[in-house]
Amino acid sequence: MKLYEYIIRRLILLAFVLFAVSVIVFYLTRGFPTAVAPWAPYINSKMTAQQIEEVKIAHGFDKPIWEQYFYWIRDIFRGDWGLTGAWAQGKSANEVFFKSFPYTVELSLFATVLTIAIGIPLGIISAIRNNKLPDHISRIIALAGYSTPAYWFGFLLQLVFFYYFSLWGLPHLPSSGASDLGVAHITGFPLLDGLFSGNFAYSWDEFVHLILPAFSLSFISLGFLARIVRASMLEVLRQDYITMARSKGLKERVVIYRHALKNALIPAVTLTGIFFAALLGGAMITEYVFSWPGVGQLALRAIMQGDSNFILVYSLVFAAIIVFANLVVDIVYAFLDPRIKY
Amino acid sequence: MLNSKEYIEKPILEIQNLKVNFSTYRGTVKALNGVDLKLYPQEVLAVVGESGCGKSVTAQTVIGLLPENAYVLEGEILFKGENLLKKSKEEMRKFRMSECAIVFQDPTTYLNPVLKMDAQIKETILLNKEALKMAVVADEEGKKIGYSEFLGMKTNPPAESGKEHKVSNKNIDRMAEKLVIDILKVVKLPDPERMLRSYPFELSGGMRQRTMIAMALARRPSIFIADEITTALDVTIQAQILYLLKELRKKIATSTLLITHDLSVAAEIADRIAVMYGGNVVEVASTRTIFKNPLHPYTSLLLKAIPNILAPVKRLQSIPGSVPDMVNPPPGCRFHPRCALATEACKVGNPKLKEVEKGHEVACY
Amino acid sequence: MQKSEVRKGEWEARLADLRYTLYLMRKNPLVLAGTIMALFFIILALLSNVIVNPNLAIPEGYPDSTYPFIRKYMWSANNPINWGPNIALYHGPEFFYLGTDSYGRDLTKMIILALPLDLYNAAIITIVATLFGTALGAIASYVGGVVDEAVLRITDVFFAFPGLVLALVFAAMLGRSIETLQLAIVLVWWPPYVRLIRGQILSEKEKPYVEALRAMGASHSRILFRHVLLNSIYPILVQATMDFGGVILTFSALMFLGFSPSPALPELGNLAADGYGHIFDAPWVILFPGLTMLLISLAFNLVGDGLRDVLDPRLRR
Repeated sequence: MKLYEYIIRRLILLAFVLFAVSVIVFYLTRGFPTAVAPWAPYINSKMTAQQIEEVKIAHGFDKPIWEQYFYWIRDIFRGDWGLTGAWAQGKSANEVFFKSFPYTVELSLFATVLTIAIGIPLGIISAIRNNKLPDHISRIIALAGYSTPAYWFGFLLQLVFFYYFSLWGLPHLPSSGASDLGVAHITGFPLLDGLFSGNFAYSWDEFVHLILPAFSLSFISLGFLARIVRASMLEVLRQDYITMARSKGLKERVVIYRHALKNALIPAVTLTGIFFAALLGGAMITEYVFSWPGVGQLALRAIMQGDSNFILVYSLVFAAIIVFANLVVDIVYAFLDPRIKY
Repeated sequence: MLNSKEYIEKPILEIQNLKVNFSTYRGTVKALNGVDLKLYPQEVLAVVGESGCGKSVTAQTVIGLLPENAYVLEGEILFKGENLLKKSKEEMRKFRMSECAIVFQDPTTYLNPVLKMDAQIKETILLNKEALKMAVVADEEGKKIGYSEFLGMKTNPPAESGKEHKVSNKNIDRMAEKLVIDILKVVKLPDPERMLRSYPFELSGGMRQRTMIAMALARRPSIFIADEITTALDVTIQAQILYLLKELRKKIATSTLLITHDLSVAAEIADRIAVMYGGNVVEVASTRTIFKNPLHPYTSLLLKAIPNILAPVKRLQSIPGSVPDMVNPPPGCRFHPRCALATEACKVGNPKLKEVEKGHEVACY
Repeated sequence: MQKSEVRKGEWEARLADLRYTLYLMRKNPLVLAGTIMALFFIILALLSNVIVNPNLAIPEGYPDSTYPFIRKYMWSANNPINWGPNIALYHGPEFFYLGTDSYGRDLTKMIILALPLDLYNAAIITIVATLFGTALGAIASYVGGVVDEAVLRITDVFFAFPGLVLALVFAAMLGRSIETLQLAIVLVWWPPYVRLIRGQILSEKEKPYVEALRAMGASHSRILFRHVLLNSIYPILVQATMDFGGVILTFSALMFLGFSPSPALPELGNLAADGYGHIFDAPWVILFPGLTMLLISLAFNLVGDGLRDVLDPRLRR
């Protein structure tokens, strides 16, 4: 089918997915007999019963669930995503979300870069020296990354690179927060803001703070990428055209770089799009451990508080990102593999 | 066609008592059991046999591309006097680069699907930068450079002129492209310029096979190995490729090792035929002699199995029994379980090739 | 041939196949190591109640209160590892190999007690998720048509949930019990199996033997379950083994984030959470439970990964 037909089909799917996700989350947080009352974020312990009732009516919690949903849909099309609860000072949900979103994006971006930079070579080495020592070593590294608990690895990094390094008198990396300095907000992206307002110290400081959490995040996914690259390379190296290339008398290095890699990396490269999307959504625990002011740890708090508005914003934004990422990945794949035509 | 009276020259490739095994889970496969073969310059030698008799393995051993679980037990492969089996990986690579070229069976899987044809063909010729430099120099001096001249330069390199010639990479590339297009014309490919810009899947099977042959020719090999190159093609394309090979023979005069299971293909184009069975060469003779006077029982059975279009309709004759299990081959002569003329001696000793008459060797008692 | 003879022949072939698989696995040192590690943990888990008195998990009171037992993190003074300044040293007669947690319990013993809980829950979750996802995917892809589309869309929706959000929301809303957690994690882990089995079955469906079976009069369910499914099972097996490691991680992560029914429950993530606020003066509390988690997960991932290599049909023979 034609390219635009394909895209339109996928966009319709996106709408459907968003709808389904919103319904599920809405029901879970507001309609389901839950352990956390849906109006809990809006009240505090000092309110009287009457005031609590007023709060409930003001936010519409007294109406039946499908009515609530309908109002919510109507509201979001007007741009009103509702208010967050007391835990976030009652600001509007999308304001809270988008203020912290850039931090998560930065973290994920950096983590993706690290993942690619380490994961792909690891996979290639594994494939070329299959079943020999380098393969075993990189296999252990890859699988260890894959098997590490997110909360544990972050902590380990903090312990070693922050605590012990300073104990031992070595230069150390900060363990939490985004930065100790402040700067004007231009784009909202701290790294860029620092550069734009000429405050390089801020940018640098923020970057330094970024290192440990990004590495922690990437350690887990680089193992996965390495395995995929390895499997892909092994598959390619078995092909007849590799034998053909060798029979031409080409140097082994040329065979691998020019013939094998181009074929093997197609699936891996396209996967990085999905990786980025997944890292975006999955950075929750890392942000929590490192107190990184991103959207993930906000979501964690929101879920604990039962704040349906924020959870909805979070879920929908990331669902959209994931579906979109899948679409982009499919298109890029078609671009890269000359055999697939649209 | 050379007949058996004209072998005065020394063989360019000589395989002596080659034994190759494969280690697999099920045991050791004794694929080659002492292969003796001689290839003379500028002749076409066809190696004929059933599937599994070891012909492809022989070719792979010559070119040095055996799979990982294969190893050479014994034997020598002499190319211009030097034993190929003793060479290092780098030396074998150079051997493949400029002395020996192989064309494989299935042009679909043997071409890289994500690279354009020009990259794949040009890289074979760009390997030989020295030769290309000479070509560019000669071109700048006004001489005409086409494939035949390029070929000629291998055996008669042009005299070194006293001047220092700086040859830019761009010129080398351009010369490579020119030569490649010329080669493509030699293999009778229509519209070579457009073909170079295409991907392999955009071409037909016959065209792809021709490009594979072109890639082989670009290396100006002394030995050209064709491993079942017509098997994957339909009969009409097969005929075209064979015709092409015959024409090339006249122009290029390399020694060709043609591997096939089809005796008729061999009959078309080969000077001599070597029949293999179960990892051994059982008979070698000129094509005429093989067909007129087959001496080995296997050969005669093979010939009888070819249906004769002119003879009255009879039952097809097949060879009784089945191909030997290469992990536990029958002792002695590997053909003896199926041989009508087997004697006690056949069960014990493995006969070697003996010259029975001039140019005709048989391995039998 | 008699039907029973045919079936016997089938099983003989599968047995020979299995033996070959085991042989290949033995050859790979990493897989061997992984299998040994996994078996070690499983045996330890099975025997845990024998090795360690489960009553030790109860933080209130101690059977032997002859020495003053302060309820906070302690590290045995004669333990060779020195964690730096600010740690509380214990100078009493008992030797804690891995220190104590905030309830004064011996961490080694707590970890051992935690093993059966984690392994058992991970097993249940993995099995349920695998069965559910596989069954759903198998039926959907075999039947095709509207059913297939519907299942695909539902799977897409579940795939679109970022990270652990669905599991977290579910667990938060439904309360903190082990069953809730199990259900929450199953909800998140079943979709990949649908995709996996779908890919397999779609390609198997086209193979000639399916048509032959139809021609012989076999019913659809028979074809699906006795033939097609068995041939497609290898990737599922691989995925399930590796998912076992992943599920353990998720389960303990949820516990770590605070979803455990009781703060004193001996469970690896829970034990780690206990030490979260004190990572610099009692690092062992997070370090060792997490390390155990890592080793268990690594063991199963090694086995699963090796299995994948070994079961790749093109690498055999």
